Amino acid sequence: MAVASPPVRRRIDRLERIWAERPGVLGWLTTVDHKRIGLLYFWTTLVFFAAGGAEALAMRTQLSQPEEKAIGPATYDQLMTMHGVTMIFFFIIPMTTGAFGNYLVPLMIGARDMAFPRVNALSYWIFLGSGIFIYSSFLIHSAPDAGWFDYVPLALKRYDGGLNIDFYALGLIFNAVSSTVASVNMIVTIFRLRAPGMSWNRMPLFCFAMLAASLSLLLALPALVLDCVFLELQRKVGFHFFDVAHGGSPLLWQHLFWFFGHPEVYIIVLPAFGIATSIIPTFARRKMVAFPLVAMAELLVAFIGFGVWAHHMFATGISSSVLVLFGAASMMVVIPSTIQVYAWLVTVNLGTPIFRAPLLFIGGFITFFVLGGLSGIMFAAIPLDQATTDTYFVVAHFHFIIFGAAVFPLLGGIYYWFPKVTGRMYDERLAIASFWVTFVGTALTFFPMHIVGLLGMTRRVYTYQHGLGWGIYNLLETIGGYILAAGLLMIAGNIAWSMRRGIPSGRDPFNGGTLEWATSSPPPHYNFAVIPTVRSAYPNWDEEDRENDLLRLEDDELVLSTGHETPLSTVNDAALDRVAEMPPESPWPIVVAFAVSIAFALVLTTHYVAAAAFFAAAVAAVGAWNLNEPEEA
Amino acid sequence: MTTSAATTYDLGHARPNGWWAMVLFVAGETTLFLMLFATYFYLRLQSRHWPPPGVDKPAVLVPSLLTAALVATSFAMQRAWRNGRLLNRVAALRWLALAGIVQGGYLIWQVHDFVDACHKEPPSHSAYSSIHLTMLAIDHLHVFLGILLTAWLLMRFATRITPYRLRTLQATAFYWHAVNVITVVVLLVDLSPHVG
Amino acid sequence: MTPLSRHGRLLPALGLVVLLAGCGGNENTLDPHSRAEGKITQIFWVVFGFSAFGFGVVVFLLFLGWWRRSKETLPFGGGEKAATGLVVGAGVALPIVLLVALFVYADLFAMKATGAPPRGSAQLTIDVTGHQFWWEVRYEGTSAVTANEIHVPTNTRVAIVTHTADVIHSFWIPELNRKMDMIPGQSNRVLIDATKPGVYAGHCAEFCGLQHAHMVVLVFAQPRAAFDRWLARESKPVSGSPPPEFTTKGCADCHQVRGTQAKGHVGPDLTHFASRTTLGAARLTNTRTNVAEWLRDPQGVKPGNKMPDLGLSNADVQTLTSYLESLR
Repeated sequence: MAVASPPVRRRIDRLERIWAERPGVLGWLTTVDHKRIGLLYFWTTLVFFAAGGAEALAMRTQLSQPEEKAIGPATYDQLMTMHGVTMIFFFIIPMTTGAFGNYLVPLMIGARDMAFPRVNALSYWIFLGSGIFIYSSFLIHSAPDAGWFDYVPLALKRYDGGLNIDFYALGLIFNAVSSTVASVNMIVTIFRLRAPGMSWNRMPLFCFAMLAASLSLLLALPALVLDCVFLELQRKVGFHFFDVAHGGSPLLWQHLFWFFGHPEVYIIVLPAFGIATSIIPTFARRKMVAFPLVAMAELLVAFIGFGVWAHHMFATGISSSVLVLFGAASMMVVIPSTIQVYAWLVTVNLGTPIFRAPLLFIGGFITFFVLGGLSGIMFAAIPLDQATTDTYFVVAHFHFIIFGAAVFPLLGGIYYWFPKVTGRMYDERLAIASFWVTFVGTALTFFPMHIVGLLGMTRRVYTYQHGLGWGIYNLLETIGGYILAAGLLMIAGNIAWSMRRGIPSGRDPFNGGTLEWATSSPPPHYNFAVIPTVRSAYPNWDEEDRENDLLRLEDDELVLSTGHETPLSTVNDAALDRVAEMPPESPWPIVVAFAVSIAFALVLTTHYVAAAAFFAAAVAAVGAWNLNEPEEA
Repeated sequence: MTTSAATTYDLGHARPNGWWAMVLFVAGETTLFLMLFATYFYLRLQSRHWPPPGVDKPAVLVPSLLTAALVATSFAMQRAWRNGRLLNRVAALRWLALAGIVQGGYLIWQVHDFVDACHKEPPSHSAYSSIHLTMLAIDHLHVFLGILLTAWLLMRFATRITPYRLRTLQATAFYWHAVNVITVVVLLVDLSPHVG
Repeated sequence: MTPLSRHGRLLPALGLVVLLAGCGGNENTLDPHSRAEGKITQIFWVVFGFSAFGFGVVVFLLFLGWWRRSKETLPFGGGEKAATGLVVGAGVALPIVLLVALFVYADLFAMKATGAPPRGSAQLTIDVTGHQFWWEVRYEGTSAVTANEIHVPTNTRVAIVTHTADVIHSFWIPELNRKMDMIPGQSNRVLIDATKPGVYAGHCAEFCGLQHAHMVVLVFAQPRAAFDRWLARESKPVSGSPPPEFTTKGCADCHQVRGTQAKGHVGPDLTHFASRTTLGAARLTNTRTNVAEWLRDPQGVKPGNKMPDLGLSNADVQTLTSYLESLR
């Protein structure tokens, strides 16, 4: 764009002016820019990741040898519960859908923002509020302590009388509000804001993954919310849902929890699949093999994920005919994953791959995902599940899935999109070194857990006796944990250093195929000076089209420089429907989130009338927000 | 859509984003209610007596009539949306007001009966009372949210019509259709002890 | 109590031997001492074998991608079409065949083989009730009540019926069979059919609170004759009355000693306390010193367990210890 003509200059200046936001801290508080919100999500979830990691290291230290006394049982139970809750609800979900999804989806589909920019800000501020809410429990040494799946009756008032479980239940309801509005926003964005020409078969696989994860989240969360509502009604007001004496059922909690909890697994790994399917084509320098099959597999896995919840309850005494059905469904769920694994492997083999850090992380991801997936198949064999469930064998399995398969792509993705977000390159040599340290650390931390689980070590023990033969494995795991932490710190160091000192990366350092690489790095507030045309699934590789963008900028075709606007497309074939005005920055989302946060704190402390007043204030703030009426949303 | 450009706004051919968002929100709420119904029957399966001895089966006549009245407001909401679409502000306002009055009356009556029921068989009495009253309360909350939306639209349409307000009306009309369907199912589940 | 060298023999495959060489628990899932657990171990090794092969293929393909990184064809020739075929073949067809086979083998046949004996068909039924944080054991058809240590005859199909007195626990003897949760209002059944005499341990497998880590159960499998003798003695009440401290210091409020006035039902039955090898759900071995330590400071030994500090004097502790150790 160095040779821009005066009219083009004027248009771009106008776009700059229209899309600019308030400077300074205030600008961050009222922002509706999906990229800034994505960054807020990124840094916040990174802090929660550090907290969850510190909890894990504390636990590993306590378990490093038999009868260790570093941490007592009460503290250990809080650390273990908060580690799970943090990593799932305050790190992975907000990191994938919130940070990566928010930042990248509008760029990949050629839009100027999310469908509902203010709702987007709201989901972030509510997420932050819920995180502070649940973490404040540590201040009064009352963090949730009944495990992340919080089984009743242990979680009932009779056995857990403090505020611990109330923090859990209310915190998760609070957090679910954020995730629900975020998923609705994501789905509508993908439905309506795709650049003209991006029909379903041309949409990046990353967006398919985000769509599938958002749909799952939207339809799975109500089960968790309802479960937590039941729990709070029983704990605080004396209802009976879970106690047998009054006709309740403790298994009701488990059914509702796992109806959410299994789709949750796919909510966690699907975005990771999406990242893998973004990185692999770029570095293999060819498009994904079996593209439609992979897209279908991503949607299918989210769907089947709703039919397998009872495999978390194989040892609860459910009749074996029911178990067998769930066993069969659990085996079916393997197929979409094997499709994707082979699609990735074959793509790498069919292309001419360059093994830079992002692709290395994807290699690590595939290795660990297959490892965790294969041990997962063992849980579909019911008698074997009943032998190994609730032991460290399970802990090993799901950490290979959640850490190996979900976090590794995130780490690779951080490197991959780092130049896009900052305009600077990360340090490649340090990145490769950090990969190997992280890889070795992960393997060493989680692999021995298989063995120690088979040797009878059950989950959630704060210590174990001498003479069981568990000590050596636990010691190895602890050493692995510290190596892993070192690897993660190397990544953090690389980011911190490269943000200031990295060499400028230019628009597209890796020659990526999707649209985020078509704009400058970092992208301007309005993302694209001209809404790009799309004629394939890898539009950035359609050089003719990208050159055409410059001509279209000259011709003022879909530049939309007269207002705060983005084009809307039809849902199916992405034909241009019309141009919609987008809302400007707004202080109301943070006000609403603040009122809701106070209200939740008041419910926690049983000040119901005051809580109702703050909920009413939140509703009033939503009204005030809607006094500003952009043409759309 | 054959309305001419002079009598309405250009809202495009595809459904607006707000409508999609409402459909998705309703889809999530539908799961919530499906889980409530599942819980209801799961707990019923565990119990010998449903409702437990000493608790009356829920009344049939009044809740059914009330629900019928509520369902009728779907028609009013649809009329309001059709008139709004044609920029017939006053007519839209009238239909909205009619719907709002019936919805408000429904809720007041229901809340009154609900408080009554809470005194007769407090939710702490049994699992039956807990799920029965929770299910009703969550349904009433959805009606309440709908009434807030209706009230908001009444306020906004009192001055003038904008595309933004029209879309709110379209989404709200859809919301009410969904809530009405859900309320009918809630009523059927609630009355299920009368059969079998 | 643990034979140290068991595992080397039972994990012959794939270098795991080396990893497992130094260990000496008796809770090894892959060291079966019953027909049921034998079946489970077999499933494990079968799935493990296929998994190791599948994992090998994936890692091989990854390395192949790296090795031939400048070639634009598949290793064995062919382009896009062959590649898609490979994805469908290896990613859909092959797994379907393998999974159906596994389903039939594990979820249909092995389910039956490892399942609990239906009501009435068991040769012996034992009710085990989980408490925070110990196990209550009752032998159906006798008055025997004990805690934390279950005696069973070998080569007998024993049905363990699981209950709970409070929260959810899970009963699991890794070397004998799959685990079974203990859920309020529900009684689940699991089969124990030990083939060899021995002591088999298990930890509570469902998180149940502060002392979940120290909720251990021991199964003593013994020949039929020895078991019958044990059960006969265990069924009898004791003769002689406890020292006054047993009542005045509160022991009798929570514990039962059959044949005396002590009829508490909160803590473990102490009738034949001295015949047990451990105390506090295997927290300590049952020696005079340990019993005294437990009585002096139960919350120090097992923080969070339901036995309060009784504020006993040294003399009280000595008297009570002597009494408990006399309950053979």
